[in-house]
Amino acid sequence: MIRRWLSLLVAQVIFQVMVRLISLTIMLAVAIALAPVTLVAAGGLATAWYLGLPPRRLLTAAAWCLPMVITWLIATAVTSGWSAALAVPFHAWLTFWELARAGRVPQAADAVAPAALPLGLLAGALAWAYRIRALRTGAGGFAPDSAVAFDQRQWRHQARTARALIAAPGSVPLIYGREDLLGVGAVIRSTGHRPGRVASIGYQRMRSHQVVVGTTGTGKTTLLLRLWAGFMAAGFRRHAAGLGEPPLLVVLDCKGGSDARKIADRTRRVLRDAGARSTAIWPDEMSLSLWTLPPRQLATTLVDLIEHGTGAAAYYTDVMEALIGLAVEAPAGPPANSQELLSRLEPGWLAAAYATVGTAADHLMIRSASKHLADVALRFRTLFRRLGDGFDGSATFAEADAWYCVLEGTDQISVAEGQARALVDLLASFAARGQVKREILLAVDEFSAVSRRLPIWQLYERARSLGLAVQVSAQSWHGLGVAEDERNRIAATAEGGIWLLRTPQPEPVIALAGTRKQVDTTRQLRRFPFWSRQGSSRLRETPVVDPALIRSLDTGQVAYLYRGGVTYLQVKRLTATAAQVSQEARERPAAKTQAPAPARRALPDVSELLDAAFGTEHSR
Amino acid sequence: MIRAADASDSLIFTGEMYGLQLDHLAGLLGGSQRGATATVSRWTAAGLAESDNLGPGHRWIWLTKAGLAACGLPFTARAPALSQLAHLRAVTAARLALAATPQFTAGQGYWRSERRIRARFGRRIAIREHVPDGEVHWPECTGLAWAGECWAIEAELTPKTVVKTVAIMRELLARTGDYGCEPADILVPGQPQRHARAIYLCSPAARNVVARARDEAGDLADRIEIRPLPADALRRPAS
Repeated sequence: MIRRWLSLLVAQVIFQVMVRLISLTIMLAVAIALAPVTLVAAGGLATAWYLGLPPRRLLTAAAWCLPMVITWLIATAVTSGWSAALAVPFHAWLTFWELARAGRVPQAADAVAPAALPLGLLAGALAWAYRIRALRTGAGGFAPDSAVAFDQRQWRHQARTARALIAAPGSVPLIYGREDLLGVGAVIRSTGHRPGRVASIGYQRMRSHQVVVGTTGTGKTTLLLRLWAGFMAAGFRRHAAGLGEPPLLVVLDCKGGSDARKIADRTRRVLRDAGARSTAIWPDEMSLSLWTLPPRQLATTLVDLIEHGTGAAAYYTDVMEALIGLAVEAPAGPPANSQELLSRLEPGWLAAAYATVGTAADHLMIRSASKHLADVALRFRTLFRRLGDGFDGSATFAEADAWYCVLEGTDQISVAEGQARALVDLLASFAARGQVKREILLAVDEFSAVSRRLPIWQLYERARSLGLAVQVSAQSWHGLGVAEDERNRIAATAEGGIWLLRTPQPEPVIALAGTRKQVDTTRQLRRFPFWSRQGSSRLRETPVVDPALIRSLDTGQVAYLYRGGVTYLQVKRLTATAAQVSQEARERPAAKTQAPAPARRALPDVSELLDAAFGTEHSR
Repeated sequence: MIRAADASDSLIFTGEMYGLQLDHLAGLLGGSQRGATATVSRWTAAGLAESDNLGPGHRWIWLTKAGLAACGLPFTARAPALSQLAHLRAVTAARLALAATPQFTAGQGYWRSERRIRARFGRRIAIREHVPDGEVHWPECTGLAWAGECWAIEAELTPKTVVKTVAIMRELLARTGDYGCEPADILVPGQPQRHARAIYLCSPAARNVVARARDEAGDLADRIEIRPLPADALRRPAS
């Protein structure tokens, strides 16, 4: 009985070995018989492996061979008839072997190329797709760690290919296509997004809210510059085509310091090349006027600029609000600058201003709150001193194509918070009033410096109706807001996508990208380190974005999360022309460098010349 | 009457203005159209220029690559665009009218054409600056009251919106740097403006809009002169 069982076992093994040998022999024979196709397939496979290409690229290459094949068939049909055209691949194959036997290899390759190239590329694509799929599902590979090693190797190959692509001049245009696509960089790999060579996003996505998360030194500024320049270039192109209003970019650099000036310089050069005629640097070169806000909003903004307490301090906040409201909405009109507001907070001014036109309630409020006037004036005097003269200018956002606002968030957090609050209020008012229509992108860089007192999510929720998109960038997930609720609100409403650079804690952001279905195969370990061919597969949900990959991203590598998919890309750095911000401005960042225009002498009369050349102004 | 230019000056003039029509060339040469036709024949025979009936009116003449190279003009050779013919004629007429004045000769005025200005830009993308139709430079020490000034010349055939016209006026008169300069030099606070004044030469259709725009330009209005286009600026059929 045992002998019979052993004989059956041996027979079964011999049969399996025979079947495998026969299969391999047949496959080898077919591969040799179709040597041209086999060679092209092997070449395609090797190229795809080396460059980390998706199988789709080989299929595309095969499709591009079709015109050649069609031309070949038509040419054969014209010269030898349709029946000959149908048989020409077979004859080409025969010719190939005849020429190859005669040692005329180039001629042999030439004869069979029209048929072998597309078929070989197709076979290579199928083999490559099979290989990827087998390893992705865990069903392929000889060793348990084959799938992991394959994925890591392919990532290196894909990253190398992407770096090579962005190194080629003109390979990633800033904007292209009819849809005004913004070229950001070269695709490394993608999941759930359409694969391509150039990573791009549509202009409309730049008109939606976006979030950028990445630590220092990961290429965040390079990415932001690219996005800003693309936004400006596409916006101007659309405006020129009558498809939209001109763009306006407002950048709040909440970090400040000399680095901010250098980035401002680079930003201005880059934007200039993208078509922005003027980039104003606030407060170094241009000042905005806070006092152009509508009186009621001005009063609210002024009160919000002062940090309030709670409990008993709330009483003083109410008093302050009442006094500021009276000073700003006085019958004489709103104050024109900070000095005028302070003068209105002098004892007696409010009483005199409202003496004849104020209501009884106004007079009562002035009497009861007047004892706090000196304290309120002191707080605002201190506030204006710390804010500087950046809000006492005469400019509006309409006076430049882009504004780069430097907030000293590293040195003076409370000042930066106040400045950010005022700038955002000014911009919202500018957008809401719509006197000059612009398609606005507000970019808040290093948001964590001002997140405590800048409820950007409130702006998020009303920004779309104002034609205003908000782009928030921070070094980590926690930099996006003080509370988890705030952070979730900001990230969840980022309809334009999330740009994720290297960061030590990517999980909260990755969770927003969701999961995808993946086949997971378990196999028996026959003898370490080899798998057996038996096992089972199951479907499971895995994160779309791999957190380990995010933690190991190199400089300039970004994961773009959008609609449940992710594209990993290598950002193409924008190069710009010569320096813009003077050395003097860099060395004295806090000083306002705007010099008064020289007095223009009265222009001489040229009427005689112009009348002689063209006639008088009112002639004809 | 304009000082008669010799054929080589006319060749450069033609290159600077993208192209010009035969009647203007005749005026430039100070002769008859027959003489101008003969000059054009010589140019075309030498491969320096081409001519054709691009639109209504007289034949247009423009320089070939060889012609531009002979003049030392670093421009790309191409026939004048059909959509630009009317505008090119208007600007050429304005240049000829200004050059015909004795003050222009006495003041050694120099017309820097739009084509020369644009040539400084190279092939940068999305350049959105407004480029005037010409600049007139008046060298110092010539005795004229406006010596040392630079004027921006704008020929307006069709009316734009007032807002856009005001924006262009502001840009022209606020600019401090030359065209093609470093971005930081375009608008430098404290530096003298590049254009002392802007001369608007308007068709009857555009005159009201330009006048309204000047009224809305505020302090800049004093630096804006409005005059009608020369009588021969509008396209007319060949006689």
